[in-house]
Amino acid sequence: MGYLADSFISAVGMIFSFNREVQLAVWTSLYTSSCSIALAALLGIPAGLWLGTRQFRGRRLMITLLNTLMALPTVVVGLVLFGLFSRQGPLGSLGLLFTPLAMIAGQTVLATPIVANYVLSAVSGSDRRILDTALTLGATHIQACTQLLKEIRFGVMAAVIAGFGRVIAEVGVAMMLGGNIRGTTRTMTTAIALETSKGEFAFGLSLGIVLLAVALLVNLFLNFLQQR
Amino acid sequence: MTPVLSIQDLVLCHDKGFRLSIDQLDLRPGQIYALTGPNGSGKSTLLRIMALLSLPQQGRVCFGGAEPANHTEQRQKVTLVEQSPYLFQGTVAENLFYGLRLRRIEKEEQHRRIKLMLSIVGLEGFEQRLAKELSGGEIQRVALARALVFKPDLLLLDEPTANIDSNSLQAFEALLSKLPRYGVTVVFSTHDLSQSARLGTELLQIENGRLINRTKSESNYTNVNRRSNADG
Repeated sequence: MGYLADSFISAVGMIFSFNREVQLAVWTSLYTSSCSIALAALLGIPAGLWLGTRQFRGRRLMITLLNTLMALPTVVVGLVLFGLFSRQGPLGSLGLLFTPLAMIAGQTVLATPIVANYVLSAVSGSDRRILDTALTLGATHIQACTQLLKEIRFGVMAAVIAGFGRVIAEVGVAMMLGGNIRGTTRTMTTAIALETSKGEFAFGLSLGIVLLAVALLVNLFLNFLQQR
Repeated sequence: MTPVLSIQDLVLCHDKGFRLSIDQLDLRPGQIYALTGPNGSGKSTLLRIMALLSLPQQGRVCFGGAEPANHTEQRQKVTLVEQSPYLFQGTVAENLFYGLRLRRIEKEEQHRRIKLMLSIVGLEGFEQRLAKELSGGEIQRVALARALVFKPDLLLLDEPTANIDSNSLQAFEALLSKLPRYGVTVVFSTHDLSQSARLGTELLQIENGRLINRTKSESNYTNVNRRSNADG
């Protein structure tokens, strides 16, 4: 118990002393996660809307595929993109491997199906009259979908939050595509894994606390928006 | 006179075996049409086709003598108020702004029209009321105001008085009877034959997906107006 308590005190001390290592890992995590969730929202929201509002052959199959992609293991995404970005791979000439860009690409692949699926659920559960009302008031299909998004904005926000939660907490992609390089690709989660394996439990714990604080802040922000 | 809407050889089949089949139907501008028939006879389906929200498998739906090249453009002139209308989240004014913004009406004119329209439907001062706080009758009236505020050529109403109390009914019918004067053609569905006699200049009877009868009747409201003019 003393070990845990001492580690906790020392972790809090590291956070409030603005430890440089902690700051770098937090910054890298926030930067890569924010970029990837922005890209995932750009791809996933229209995809979810499209699947939710259109009827076409193969729709069920696409939804099943989307559900399967939600459960993608992070190491599998990491492995496939590693193959693409490695020097012998088809995109090797871009030199993306072990850069934040490669991490962003991998995390976007992880988050997009989550965002799309949550938006699809929100559209499926929304009032069927919304689109027709907008159309009969003179809206184009895109304008009607924009209105639908406004009406289901809390579902859309939940989609983005869920996707963000997935990417900020993942280790596989960050480790395999980022390489855990200090100052550039070392995120909170990879740093926790590394430092704990080195016996630096307090350091890992301090990053764990920050990770939880970020999740709390994001949820508080969502609540704030919902109450407006 | 070119009909505001004409339907020819229309066929629409639903999966559940329902078939709507209209050989010929012309609607003249500035008239009120009452669409009557039992439940499931195809009234709402026909109104949705007229509003370009459903597309028939066969036949032609022409507006002003021609098939619309662009459905969105045509929907700017035709609007449907459903039996249980949906009001967007937000205030009453935001609901009324929606159609006006899509038509790029000037801001000042938007405010003027909203104020006028809310007073016409008996909801003065309701601009900032939240849509979710309104009663069924108020929702119906806001939906009607939202449809009328952008001056459609063709107003389609699916059982518009189903949620309206008897006090509001008379005011609503009086308002409806005035619309043709402003060039608005109205088609409303109803189960109330006396209402269709009161309002409907032409009664369209539909049964099992077929138009079985068209009857002309003179609106009581027109008679009242004529009588009051003669008395005056």
